[in-house]
Amino acid sequence: MNPQAMLEFARGPFFYAALLFMIFGLAYRVFTVVALGWSKDRVPNKGSKASGVVKTYLKALLIWPFIPWVKNTFDRNPLIYIGGGLFHLSLFVVVILGTPHMLVWKSLSGLSWATLPLPIVDWTAAVGIIAMIMLLINRRINPVLRLISGPAEYLSWLFVFLPMVTGYMMTHHLWLPYENLYALHMLSVDVMMIWIPLSRISHFVFYFFARTIHGAEFGKRGVAV
Amino acid sequence: MTAVKHAYDTFIHETGGWVASQLEACTRCGMCAEACHFYQATGNPEYAPVWKVELLRRAYEQRFTLVGGFKKMIGIEKEITDEDLSHWSELNYHACTVCNKCSMVCPMGIDLGSLLHGVRAGLAAADAVPADLMAAVNKQVKEGSPLGMTDSVWDQRLEWVADEWEVDIPRDVKGADTMVVFSSIEVMKFPTNVAAIAKVLNKAGEKWTVSSKAREIVNFGFYQGSEENTKLFLTRVLEGAKELGVKRIVVTECGHAYDALRWHGANWLPEANDFEIIHITGVLGELIGSGRIKIKPGAFDGNGTITFHDACKIQRKGGHIQEPRDILNVLAPNSFKEMTPNREESVCCGGGGGVIAVKAADEPRYAAFQLKIDQVNTVGAKTVAMTCSNCRLQFTDGVDHFKLDWKVAGLAQMVADALVE
Repeated sequence: MNPQAMLEFARGPFFYAALLFMIFGLAYRVFTVVALGWSKDRVPNKGSKASGVVKTYLKALLIWPFIPWVKNTFDRNPLIYIGGGLFHLSLFVVVILGTPHMLVWKSLSGLSWATLPLPIVDWTAAVGIIAMIMLLINRRINPVLRLISGPAEYLSWLFVFLPMVTGYMMTHHLWLPYENLYALHMLSVDVMMIWIPLSRISHFVFYFFARTIHGAEFGKRGVAV
Repeated sequence: MTAVKHAYDTFIHETGGWVASQLEACTRCGMCAEACHFYQATGNPEYAPVWKVELLRRAYEQRFTLVGGFKKMIGIEKEITDEDLSHWSELNYHACTVCNKCSMVCPMGIDLGSLLHGVRAGLAAADAVPADLMAAVNKQVKEGSPLGMTDSVWDQRLEWVADEWEVDIPRDVKGADTMVVFSSIEVMKFPTNVAAIAKVLNKAGEKWTVSSKAREIVNFGFYQGSEENTKLFLTRVLEGAKELGVKRIVVTECGHAYDALRWHGANWLPEANDFEIIHITGVLGELIGSGRIKIKPGAFDGNGTITFHDACKIQRKGGHIQEPRDILNVLAPNSFKEMTPNREESVCCGGGGGVIAVKAADEPRYAAFQLKIDQVNTVGAKTVAMTCSNCRLQFTDGVDHFKLDWKVAGLAQMVADALVE
């Protein structure tokens, strides 16, 4: 298959198939979890569950990612806070505020928005790639992370790293012809989308369950989240 | 293989959407380890909370998820074995106090404490509970108390406390408003606590009583993780309360018992909602706040720095965080100093969750206590106040073991000593 045909396939039928697989896969996972049933909490509250939930989201989305050193565990493993934080920041900036990606969202949803200038997005992408490498090294060095990491954890790392690095190479026309890089980038994105519902990358969905439960549990006891 | 089957069945029984959605949220970032006092103290990676819940995760994924089933099929994931059960029994009963500090640092907010309790449930069903902890459970089933506080011992002890400290302890009074349920740790080891609480309630003019039926608040079934035993011990308390027709149940200085009755009781036994359930720390705050009792300001100043140890089940999981501070700021306005971290982020004593009842857990338990020693020494405290007898047991044992010159004090006792006549 020549690069042009490969690209057409990777951004055409394969892309849509992977996207659908991801969406339905995640929906299936959420459905099976919810279907396990939720027992009713009959214990009377001391504080307010709702206020606990609101507070925990505010802290987790607006405070901790940006000033992680307020957590007293920060000093014990700063790499994971900094690496994890920068990776996610890079991800959001590149995937949402990068012009080419915004155009993909636009073609899918019809919505468009202002994007950041390329140099900013580009530097953020580089930071994200470096953060990913830091996180991998940390995963190999830290005894707890070594213990809890199996093939799935390393595959997750790889399937996220490939789209990042091929995207970066594409922007800078590194080593291979542009079309080949574009095809590789799209292929790696497709593989990642297929992998997401099969792996713990899906935490971005279940995060909302855990965070809500956390807020409710602490809130009902009248304890700061 | 029957033990393994019981474990699987219980893990699966424990895994509703509430548990499953949290297991699914885990990214395996390992951050929870950094919050665990046992990991901090020993550096043993197996003490990471995420690893302690591994069996629950395996059972869930193998039985409920396609990926888990596939992983088992190709051999990446193994069935739980008898060896796994005994190994995880050590990790969970020797080096976890279910203090839930880990949930405070989890970036996903996973309520690890509840999941760890779920692991204990499976281990309990498989009879993989340390023998000495199990002996205490069995003693509570048979004699009504893990510390041997039988009917006659209870009678003698209460009479002796009433005599010794010249305090009236109303017993089995029908129609009282409040039933106080002590822990046998207090009755047997810290009897001054019993006298102190009696003195405070009498002074406040509270219509209160103790019950011979509901004489033990300690719940070793909850440590064990057995729903059946937990319910049995809770039922004894609730039946005692029902018999006397009281409106509220006061749990004295016992952490896990408060957690079990106040925050889980009604989910197992709906009749728990017939009563208001409150911890003595809340009662003290109420009585002082409303002026029903008066304490002498500065009564504890002048004897060196006093600090307060937050118990996992009474402060972090119980919400009685402010009352002890308000009280200590009156009792010792010049010498009360906070440790860091404190309040809901406090470092656990290391003896809760039944750990102190397991002889083989002494090593990690003393190691974890060293974090507490550092904290107390950093503020330079000579007295450590607390609201949990189990913490107090760990502290008095630790003070003895490490030959420290601190005083360990129960908050109720301090309030009683400072009552204005």
